[in-house]
Formats: sequence, C-alpha cells, structure tokens
Amino acid sequence: MTVSYSGVTKSYRGRLVLDDISDVVNEGELTALLGPSGSGKSTLLKIIAGLTPLDSGRVSLAGKDVTNEPARNRHIGFCFQDYAPFRHLSLRENVAYGLKVQHVPRAKRREQVDELLHLVRLEEYADQYPHQLSGGQRQRMALARALAIKPDVLLLDEPFAALDAQVRSELRTWIRSLQKELGITTILVTHDQAEAMEISDRIVILNQGRIEQAGRPSFVYDHPATEFVASFLGPITTLAGISYRPHELELVPATDADSYEVREVVRLGFEVRVVLVDGDAATWVQLTHDQAKQLNPRAGQRFGVHVREKNATAKSAAAADQDAVK
Amino acid sequence: MRRPSLVLRALVILYVGALLALPLGFVFQQALSKGWGQFWSALRDPAMDQAIWLTTKVLVLAVPLNVLFGVGVSLWIVRHPSKLSRALDVVIDVPLALSPIIVGLMLELAYAQTGWFGSSFAYLGLKIMFTYWAIVLASIFVSLPLVSRQVIPLLREVGEHQEQTAATLGAKPGRIFFTITLRSIMWATAYGVTLTLARVIGEYGAVLIVSGNIALLTQTLTLNIGANFESFNSYQGFVGSLLLGVISVLVLGVIGIARHRLERKRHDSFV
Repeated sequence: MTVSYSGVTKSYRGRLVLDDISDVVNEGELTALLGPSGSGKSTLLKIIAGLTPLDSGRVSLAGKDVTNEPARNRHIGFCFQDYAPFRHLSLRENVAYGLKVQHVPRAKRREQVDELLHLVRLEEYADQYPHQLSGGQRQRMALARALAIKPDVLLLDEPFAALDAQVRSELRTWIRSLQKELGITTILVTHDQAEAMEISDRIVILNQGRIEQAGRPSFVYDHPATEFVASFLGPITTLAGISYRPHELELVPATDADSYEVREVVRLGFEVRVVLVDGDAATWVQLTHDQAKQLNPRAGQRFGVHVREKNATAKSAAAADQDAVK
Repeated sequence: MRRPSLVLRALVILYVGALLALPLGFVFQQALSKGWGQFWSALRDPAMDQAIWLTTKVLVLAVPLNVLFGVGVSLWIVRHPSKLSRALDVVIDVPLALSPIIVGLMLELAYAQTGWFGSSFAYLGLKIMFTYWAIVLASIFVSLPLVSRQVIPLLREVGEHQEQTAATLGAKPGRIFFTITLRSIMWATAYGVTLTLARVIGEYGAVLIVSGNIALLTQTLTLNIGANFESFNSYQGFVGSLLLGVISVLVLGVIGIARHRLERKRHDSFV
C-alpha cells in the first residue's frame, strides 16, 4: 500500500521538529528514514502511525486521507525501539493481542499465532514471558505481534539500535528477506547510514526537520544533493575544491606538475588512509591493503593524486554549500 | 561486608523492643488480663460494636473513592501533562503535610450548617457535619495522595509505548486501559489501597472534630478507644486497642505482600 504525506509540520514545546515534509512511499518498498538524532525522523514515523497528532499537513494510505483517523483504524504495524512488550503477557499472548481485539475465534487465533511464531522462529519460547527473552527475541516478538493483524504498512523505529553488533547484522538480513517475501510496504527509522544503505530500496535523509534528499541508496551516495548528505552518508575527501568519496581517488607515482607530500599514513584495519599536503592544500586518499603494500607510501614522500572514477560526486564544496543553504 | 557487631545488634533490638514490642505486648497483656470470658463480653460492648460497624462503613465508601480518584488523577498528571495537572501534582500532597486537627477544623468551617458549602447543603435539608458523611469526607481528605503517590512513579516508568502499541493493534481506549494500563499499575494500586485502609482505620484528629464523637452514633473504632480511656474505662480501651492492633498487623501483612510483588515487577522491568 502506498503511503504518502504532504506538508507535515510539527512543533514540540516551541521547537519546529518537522518543517513542511512531503514524500511518497511506494507499494512494497522498504524506505529508510535516515538522519541524526533530533532530525524528526521518529516523530514522522509516529505521525504516519497516528500516534502523534500533527500541526498541519496530510497523511494518506493508498490515496485515502487518514489524517484524522486514530491509530487503531489505520491498520499499520508499529514496532518501537524498546519493542514495548506487554510485560504481563506471555509471548503467545503478546502475539495474539491484535487477533483478540479483532475477535478472531480461539482455534483460528491459535493457528495464526503458531504460524507467526514459526515465521519469527520463536515457537519454542511461546509460553515464556518477555523478561525471559533476549533482545533479539523480543524484537522478533514485537514484529510477530505487529504482523498478526496483517497490516498494510509496517513501521519500525530504530529496530536494531538496542542490539549488539552480531545479532544486529543477522536480524537486518533476516528482516529484509522477510519484508521482500511478504511484500509489505515498510518504513524504517535509523541513524545508521550503513544500515540504511544495506537494507533499503530508498533512502530519505532528514536533517533538522527537513528532507535533504530522497532516492536509491547508491544514487544518493554517489550524487549527494547537499554537503550534509555527502558527509552523513560516508567520509568525503576534497581535491582542488571538489568533493570525492575516498575510493574515487587514487595515488600515483609523483609527476612534476601536481604532487603532494605524504604527511601521515593511518592504518584502518584492511584499509590505509594517506594524508597528503601541498603548501596550503591538503587531501587524503584511502588505499586497500594491497595498494598500500605496492606503493608503500611513507611520510615525506611525494605522490600524485588521480581521480579514479568518472561519476565522481563532481560537485564543488562551494556549490554544495549553496544547495544546503536554500 | 562486616557483620554488625553484637553491641549494635543488641542496641537495635532494645530500641525496637522499647518502642514497639513492649508497649504492644503490654496492650495485649492488659486486654487479656481478665480472662477470655471477660474479653469476649468486652468484644460485644454495644458502643464498640457500633464503632467497628461505622469504621467498616466508612472504609467501604472512602477506599473505592480514593482508588478512583488516585488512579484517575495519576493518569491525568502523567499522560496529559499541563500547567493545571502539574499544579495538582503539588497540591495533592497538602493533606500529608497538614496536621489532621487542622484538616478537621477546615472541614468544619466549610461544611458546618453556617459554613460556605454547609449552608447550601442545609438549604437542601442535608446535614454533613457530625454525621457519617463528615467522617467519610475527613477520611478521604487525609488519605488523598496515598494511591496516586504509588501509581504515578510506576506509570512514568512503564511509559506509553505498550499502550500505543495496543492502539496500533486496533484496541480502543477502554480496552487498552483494562488490558494494559491497569495491569501495569495493579500492584502499586493495591499497595496504595492498603495504605489508605491503614490511614482511614487509624485516623483520629480530623475525625474527632468532624464527627462530634457521639457514642453509639458517630464514633469510629479509634474514637471509641480514646473515649474509653478518657472515661477511665481502660479495660474496654485495651480490648479495642488489641482489635486495632490485630487489624493493623493484617493490613501490614497485605502491604508486605503487595510491596514484594511490586518490587519483583520492578525488578522484572528491562526497558
């Protein structure tokens, strides 16, 4: 189901949290709302769900205006960052809650809950209580509970933030494949750019209550519309006033014309960062382990810097600043 | 950690003994000093029986009202914060800070036949002061914050996410309240109820003033005990005290269980 919102504006205690935001989320897509904390992304998610009232603007589901519908009528599955398990109910009862509300007969309810527990691989924990489950299990429980009502849209607020790295990457992959399998329109809030890049069909980058840019992850990464987007999505380096991703530059043996002096060589695990200066100009280049071994750059040596790829961000820092201002 | 020394332990035992155990034991010994027969007939003293009955009637009205008010006000303060609700959050503690005598006098000024509200009630032919209703009023007043003070911190700690999740699952507000909210605050409310029970049963000062303390009519159990001692009928007073002591121990037991459950609930919380 298509989700669209337009002109969404929200102030909280005199502070503008969302400033005239509009977007359309296509059927079956997974959209990541990406932004630093305080950018308004969680507030936007709650507004779509009907949990937070908006000051002005509209929210539509499949073209139908639901701005004034309460959350219970929107048929949207919502998972909080803390998973909000019903503490006094067992896992099975948690998942069954939405079905009970819909007065699904007991036998049918049991069958559907069993199916969902199987889907999230928690069958053996059915009679446990939330405090007996691990973080990852609680997250899957929350997901099963939200999916029980067969929602048209799934909203996930920082679904992986409270998990440790190992579980996080497993669940990320799993949720992505589940989402594709179910074909459910999903909006996910995250502040982690790597997560957004990996999991989503489309990224919406929010900053200070406004959308900076929206588009396919690879496109946004390669063609950031603003300086903010460029720096938020990953490291950027500049060469002669032009911004590049580190992998777009390469180090070549020094020629007479343009050469830089190596100031510092920093090992970053597999990759090596080489910091270069030439008078007032400074830049840095990222090399793979193998490249570094081959070139063997050392402080004081001189190297040339080449633009490796044609589809460089090719946008001068000054121009990007202009964009950010307007 | 070092175990407390023998001297320290002896001191604590002595302290508690002198303050609590000995006087309580003395009351029990006095109440039973004339044998079971006498004790039994003292239990059936008409004035005391009436007092027990009156105290029970007061509890039946005051406690549920206090629970309704306490839970309602807590929800309002925590879930719908506004200037007004924040002000109420402070004002609600006033009854705890005021001496019960002052509470009694305030109520008398307001509800006496010549008082502000009292005169209006009198016009309608209703008498508040020196009746059952005045005792209920005073009881509610002195125990006003006992439920909400337990419920408010728990509501804050539990947060809104469970309730909001239930809403996205299609639940209406009433269902959310009974299946989610009430379940979270159940034990805190139970603890508040036992505190209210204990306070209402034991209240003396405020009730003394507003009830008129008329034997066989507006005397609660605590007032009855006081009256017996004042009229040198101390044996009857001791029997009443024993009864009140037993009730207190029972209430304390319930408080203990409720608190234990409450703390386990808190311990279970992981969010």
